[in-house]
Amino acid sequence: MSVGMFDIPKDATLVGVRTTSNRGFSAEELAEQAAQKIVAVSDTAHPALRDQAYAFRKRISKVIESYLTQAVRSDRTTVYNALNDAGHPDLADLIRRL
Amino acid sequence: MAFTGNFMCTSFKQQLLQAQHDFTASTGHDFKLALYDNNASFTAATTDYTVTDEAGNSGSYSAGGGALTNITPTTSGTTALTDFADLTFTSATISARGALIYNTTTGGGSGTTDSIIVLDFGSDKSSTAGDFQIVFPSADSSNAIIRIA
Repeated sequence: MSVGMFDIPKDATLVGVRTTSNRGFSAEELAEQAAQKIVAVSDTAHPALRDQAYAFRKRISKVIESYLTQAVRSDRTTVYNALNDAGHPDLADLIRRL
Repeated sequence: MAFTGNFMCTSFKQQLLQAQHDFTASTGHDFKLALYDNNASFTAATTDYTVTDEAGNSGSYSAGGGALTNITPTTSGTTALTDFADLTFTSATISARGALIYNTTTGGGSGTTDSIIVLDFGSDKSSTAGDFQIVFPSADSSNAIIRIA
């Protein structure tokens, strides 16, 4: 009779930690992370399936990156207008130039 | 002291069998993740969150850590599993060696700090005026952060 297991490996790296210095994550970095969450495939999967999954993930990453980039630009437009409307045209221009 | 590996807290295992933890999204309990330097001394015997050796307030990180977003438990084959959304602290200058996940509403109460998991990052991780992101493993039967096989 098998016995259920409920524990975690003591010495393995369970979570990933990603950090940046003096900047946030780029759209490319976030897109790669998102694609890895969406498309997961075992390293031991059949090579044909694995390669197809990798190719799909690469394509997905590019699509996500383009939309993330657009989202950042759109948000800056929103922030630009909010700052401008609040009487801070200099700050608004700084945001626009980022 | 120092981090000595990952631990599923023993008190959590007992409390789970007493139906004191609910990982359901939105309607479940509120879980948090706090960051610590390598002076922290957590083991499987850890029962509660502590401010001792916790990373200092910076950017969006403040004492107690960040709120986790629950992913409703599911099954894969004969394994039950649950997951959390990745957590990012922004505009933060942080150096941390590990983390503690704990439940702030154990047993349906509030303000509790019952520990769930001790996470050892393996080395110090640092951000400087940037993002500090915790990336949880794939939510599958082999990798999910909490799973019962």
